Formats: sequence, C-alpha cells, structure tokens
Amino acid sequence: MADSVANTHSLLTLSGVSKHFGGVDALSDISIAFEAGKVHALVGENGAGKSTLGKLILGIHRPSGGTIALDGKDISIEEPAAALRLGLVGIAQELSLMPRANVMDNIALGREVTRRGLVDRAATLKAVKDVMDRYDMRLDPFAIVGDLPMAERQKVEILRALSRDARLIIFDEPTARLATHQAKQLLGLIRALAAAGKAVIYVSHFLDEILEVSDTITVLRNGRLISTRPASVETRATLVAGVTGQDYQSQFPPLPPAPADGAPLVRVRNLTAKGVFEGINLEVRPGEIVGLAGLVGAGRSEVAHAIYGALAVDSGEIEFDGKPLTGPIRRRIDLGMAMIPESRRDQALFLGRPILENIALPYLKRFSRLSWLNKRAEKASVETAAANTAMKFGALSDRADTLSGGNQQKILFARAAIGRPRLLIADEPTRGVDVGAKRSIYQMIAKLAAEGEAILLISSEIEEIMGLSHRVVVLSRGRVAAQLQGAALTEKAVIEAAFSGG
Amino acid sequence: MQRAMNFTRTYGILIVTVLMFIALALTTDGFATWRNFRNILDQQSTVLIAASFLTIATIAGNFDVSVSAVYVTAPLVALVVENATGNVPLAIVAAIIAGLAMGLFNGIVVSRFRINSFIATLATSFMFFGAGYLVSDRSLMRPVSDAYPMLARSQFLGLTSATWVSFAMVIIASVLLTQTRFGRNVFATGGNPEAARIAGVNVPRVQIATFALLATAAAIAGVINSSRSLSAQPSDDFSFVFAVLTAVIVGGTSIAGGQGAVWRTVVGAFFLAFMSNGFNLHQIDPIWQRLIEGLVILIAVGIDAWTQRNSR
Ligand SMILES: Nc1ncnc2c1ncn2[C@@H]1O[C@H](COP(=O)(O)OP(=O)(O)OP(=O)(O)O)[C@@H](O)[C@H]1O
Ligand SMILES: [Mg+2]
Repeated sequence: MADSVANTHSLLTLSGVSKHFGGVDALSDISIAFEAGKVHALVGENGAGKSTLGKLILGIHRPSGGTIALDGKDISIEEPAAALRLGLVGIAQELSLMPRANVMDNIALGREVTRRGLVDRAATLKAVKDVMDRYDMRLDPFAIVGDLPMAERQKVEILRALSRDARLIIFDEPTARLATHQAKQLLGLIRALAAAGKAVIYVSHFLDEILEVSDTITVLRNGRLISTRPASVETRATLVAGVTGQDYQSQFPPLPPAPADGAPLVRVRNLTAKGVFEGINLEVRPGEIVGLAGLVGAGRSEVAHAIYGALAVDSGEIEFDGKPLTGPIRRRIDLGMAMIPESRRDQALFLGRPILENIALPYLKRFSRLSWLNKRAEKASVETAAANTAMKFGALSDRADTLSGGNQQKILFARAAIGRPRLLIADEPTRGVDVGAKRSIYQMIAKLAAEGEAILLISSEIEEIMGLSHRVVVLSRGRVAAQLQGAALTEKAVIEAAFSGG
Repeated sequence: MQRAMNFTRTYGILIVTVLMFIALALTTDGFATWRNFRNILDQQSTVLIAASFLTIATIAGNFDVSVSAVYVTAPLVALVVENATGNVPLAIVAAIIAGLAMGLFNGIVVSRFRINSFIATLATSFMFFGAGYLVSDRSLMRPVSDAYPMLARSQFLGLTSATWVSFAMVIIASVLLTQTRFGRNVFATGGNPEAARIAGVNVPRVQIATFALLATAAAIAGVINSSRSLSAQPSDDFSFVFAVLTAVIVGGTSIAGGQGAVWRTVVGAFFLAFMSNGFNLHQIDPIWQRLIEGLVILIAVGIDAWTQRNSR
C-alpha cells in the first residue's frame, strides 16, 4: 500500500493510518502522500476526518494504527512540540494566539533570540522582520493582536509558522472567518508558499477555492479515503458528488413568497452606538428573510447584538411586535428572539459540557419548575431538535468538543429550534459547514420563514445573501448604504453598496 | 483501552481513595472501627460543609479566600448575640445573616466591578477578620447557654449533629448543581461567561449567588466549630480555606472553572482524611506527614493533568 502512494518527491507519507475515538472511527486505513511545493486539498463532509488527519500530523492526536514517514523514514510524532521540531505546523481552525501580546511576541513565541538566557528584543525584532520581508507580509510588530482584524491575526499565525522553518503547513478552514477579498489574498499567499517549496495541506468547504488553489485533491468520507486526484480533472460537480455521495443539486431551496406588507415584527429606528454604527433603520416582517450584507467590520454583527440586547446603544429605538423593546438579553429571549452568534467557540459553546446542556441552556425554564429540572422532558426536546438538524454525534451526553466543527455549528441550530423563536438572528450560520449540510441549513431557514418566523441573516458569502434573502440591507462603515429588493437586488448592487463607504 | 482511560480519568480519585481505604483497613489496627469512622466524619464535617459550596463557586469560575474570615467571624457574631440574649436560634440566624452579607459583598465586588476573585476576596478577608475583632472586642468568647454546645455535639443514630449537618449541606450543594437550572447556569458561567451571557444567563447574578451560598456555608461551618470547641476567638488565620481548597482540588474540580462535581470534593476530603488518620495511627512524625501530604497532592494534580493530556 505504502509504495503505491509514496514517490521520490514525497515529503510526508501516511500509510494505512487510522484513528479511533472510543467507538468512533474518525479515520480508517488512510494512505496519502504530501509533496513539497504542492498544495494538497482535503475535502469532505463535517466529521469526515479532515481535521483529525491534520491533528495526527501535528502530534495533537496519535494514530491508532499505521505509519507516518518523513523523507521516507518512519517517524512517530509524540507531541505538538515534536511536530514543530520536524517542521510540521498548523494554522488552526480556531486561532491560537495570545490576544493581549503584540505581533512580534506572538510570532516569536518559543523562538525568541536569547543572549545569556535573556531575550534579546532587538535581535528578535530583526528575525521577525526578516520573515515578514521574505514572504512580503508586513504587519506592525508592536500592534496588539487582540486589536487586529481577523485577517491580520491569521497572518500573524502564518508568520509564526514560517518563522519556525515550517516544511509542511496545514490550513484548516482558514477562510471561514474572512471576507471575500481577504480570502483571495490568502489564496495568493498559499500559492506563494508552495512556490517557495513548502508542502501545503488545505482544508476547506469552499469548493471554488479548492479548485483554484490546489494541485491535488483528496476526498474523505466517513473517515475513509475516497479518491486522490489532480485538481485539473475535478470540477465542482465531481467534488460535490464525491463529498456527499449524491449528485449535484442546486444549493438553495425555493424561498417561500415574501410576506405581503404586514406590520413588521421588528422595527429599528435611528439606532446609534457611537463609534460602531449610526442611524440604522431596519424592519423585518414575520415570514421574511432579510439579509444584512456588508464587509467584515461594517457593523453587521454589532447591529444584530444591539437588537438582541447584547450591546448597549446610545440612541434610537427598537420596536418588537409594536412595543418598545428594552431590557436584558434574557427578556428578549423570553419575548421570542434567538441569536446564532458569529463565533461558536467564543460566544456560543461550552466545549467541556455535554451536547445536551449546550442545546438546552437558554430554554431551561421550559423544562423546570422553581428551578428544578425535568430532565426527561429536556432530553426529549433536545433529541427532536438534534435529529431535525441532522447532527452527527455519539450520545447527547458526549462533550461538545468531541464533535467536528460543522457539527458543533449544528448545536446552535438545534438550540434555536428548541426556542421556536419569532425572530431568528443568524450571524454567519453556515461557517465551517459542509456542502450537504449547508443545503440542509438553507432549507431549515426557508422552512422557518415559511412558518412565519422573521429572519435576519448576516453572511459574508454573497451567494448566501443572494440565494436566501427576500430583501437585503447593506451596511458600510456603520451606516445603511442601501436597502435592496425585487429587481434592484443584484449581486453587483450589493457589492457596490458594501464598498460605498456609507 | 480508550474506555478504560476515560473511566480512570473520571473515577481515578475514587479508585485511589478506595484502594487506600482497603490498604489501611488491612494493615492498621484501629482504622476500620466504628469509633474511628465516627471521629473522622465528625472532624471532616466543617471542611465538607464549606468545600461543597466552594466547589460550586470554583465551577462558576471564581475563587474565594475569604472562606477563612467568614469561618472565624460568623461564630463571633453568633456568640455576641447568644451572650446578650441567651437565645441560640437567634444566634444561629445572626451568624447566617452575617455570612450571607459577607458573601453578597464578595459577589458584588467581584461581579460588578470585575475584580479578580482571588485578589478581591483576599482584600475582603482582611475586612471580615477586622470585623471579627470589632464585634468580639478582641477577646475569646464562650457560650453562656447549655444549648449552644449541643449544636455540634448531639448524637443521633450514633453520629454527631455536626456530621448530620455536613451530610445535609453536601446533598443540598450536589442537588443544586446537578438538578436545577441554577446549577446549569453555574457550569455555563464558569465554562464560557460570554457564551452564557448570550444564552440569556444573568452572569453577575449567578456569581453573586455562588459567593452568597459559600459564605453562608462557611458561617455554618464556623458556628459548628465554635460549638464543638466551646469557644470562638478573633484571629486572622487563613488555614481553613486551604484545607477546604485542598479537598476541592484533590477531588478533581478544575480551578479553571466550568468543570467539576460535589461528589469529587467529598471523595477528595476523605482521601486526605484517611491519609492523615493513617499517619496518626502509625504515629508518624507530623513533620513527615506534611511533607508526604504535599507530595500526594502534587501527584494527584499531576495524574489529573497527565490523563487529561493523554486522552487527546
Ligand atoms: N477528541 C475527540 N473525541 C471523540 N471523537 C472525536 C474527537 N475529535 C473528533 N472526533 C470525531 O471524529 C470524527 C472526525 O472529526 P473531524 O473533526 O476530523 O471532522 P472534519 O472532517 O474536520 O469535520 P468539519 O468539516 O466539521 O470540521 C467526527 O465524527 C468527530 O465527532
Ligand atoms: Mg474540521
């Protein structure tokens, strides 16, 4: 088996590798070779085993079986530090930077230049600047990482990898948090890394990106390797077929008709939070899907947070169901609001707690009397909600962090489904979700609208906004730049408004 | 293999405690006797009462050093009232109100002003110790009624009332944590405060409640201690909180928050109690006891960290 995949150029070869977690076979009998100077993409559904494969190479997990060879020699990667020493580094699906430290310290972490045991800051700065120059990725070395936008933070991670003399770099869904033009930039960078002789492993659910950036594409399904082929012979349709095991279908379900001009469920008037957004006017009717478009940083999530009560405003009004809306988040949830926040890890999940508790948390009142929980009723409700989202999991009592990224996202949908809210705010609801599951999330959103829920959809994917919204409100620099619907609602109009600067 | 690993990780401290129990029972004269167990239970009662509720506060992501100060000061309040009125129930109520007030103060300082809980409660400790000196006029206090000493010393079904109170408090803490909405909110608050807030949990209120419960429990433990020793004395002795914290940590509740259980703390407390009881029965020099105890705590924490890493 090993001979069939290895060849003289292979930097890293996996032969017959498998990984089990308890009863779950995350990977079985994987044989794959990664070559220097090539971008090798991994595609597959949520839970297919892509991240697990990367984690085996990075020493985060150890294989249950099979061998890994570097430059033709068998190696055992005992821990992350060992992987680093071998030049195997990862850009994590969720970034792992020190937010309060500056760019330089983050890049140099663990590799500071020292003299007589003390850090030589001048020499360290020079080393950091050298790496920035060599790869033409310049950042202010003294900027605090937590203040940087996501795209820049990612560059810090990449620079850190490069400064460690990486030979193989794994990108696990690096564009999931980026706006389109930033993603384009990153893809250029990845090509440059390959040109500089690095082996790159690229994991993504964006098939167009994959086709654009990679040399070789491997499809994984249920922990098995389905195919490894040159990117030149693949198309969107062959990849979708490979990933889902089904033929290609249109991504977007038919939308229910837009509601007639009824009274809006939410009406936002002149809402202002100084320095964040200004004079926002916005309405969502029951049964209507309103897309909130704009560039990353335009203030979309902030407006959503303000409506949800998670961000204080300076002036303006929010009406819900014809009545002025005030009070804390709890009150708004009780009135029928639900939010799927942008960052599942920071704002939504309790990774160390059971899936069940993660789903039920905002609605415990329904399953309790005088604070006493009726666990049977809770479990029944959660089971139904989880089944409706096609989440893949072992048991509801498993910890949330045993789920793959996309299945973690489905926890949030299951949570919202239990609430049966009247207004659902979905902020980047398909982040990290595979093509098949995306379609089911789109169907879920369309179905909720058909049942009369008002939906405010925030997305950085223009196709998602176009394919799913009755009406689109475009924000630019904290102001409403355009409200588009009907014939005026075109991709071009949305993009122009987004870039208009308010 | 994986399953065995998970099992050891979850029940490791329980297994070790049971093994030690068996070893001591087989090798040590006077260990496996009813009399000895009754004494151990009685001695552990004050630690268990406070540790059950420190577990809750720890899971909510906070630490409370002022447990010692409340433990010292609340019984002084009780005895001042008792000396003045001779009314024991009133004395208990006064101590509980004092504990509750100190806990609310801690909770408000930590949650509203967002001060690190360790530092905030270190500061409030000195205030509470100071209050103890004030109410007692810096002197040792003794109960005047015959009823006060009986609070901890009455016998029921062969166990002391102190033991029964500790059982009740352990059960209350455990039920609160595992069977109520409040318990879920505690885990959420400690596990990911921002996600808890977004999910509609009133994070400051949960934190205040955990501090208030803990200080109330510490006040009850203090009253029991004073009833047992027939006196209370103002001091600024921090040792109680460390005994309590050790039980929580050895049991395996994570100081990072969001993870843990009351049963763990109970097992942790008995692990430590059996160990020191074994030392005493073997007449080992107390200096060596300390050294070995420290080592065992390190090993317990080390094993925990090791299994956590290797389960990945
Ligand atoms: N630490 C773990 N413990 C138990 N099961 C795990 C663990 N990590 C991953 N798994 C399981 O292994 C399988 C593969 O997960 P993995 O994260 O590799 O998927 P993925 O292909 O990266 O998916 P996604 O596209 O959603 O990120 C899933 O069924 C997942 O639940
Ligand atoms: Mg993944």
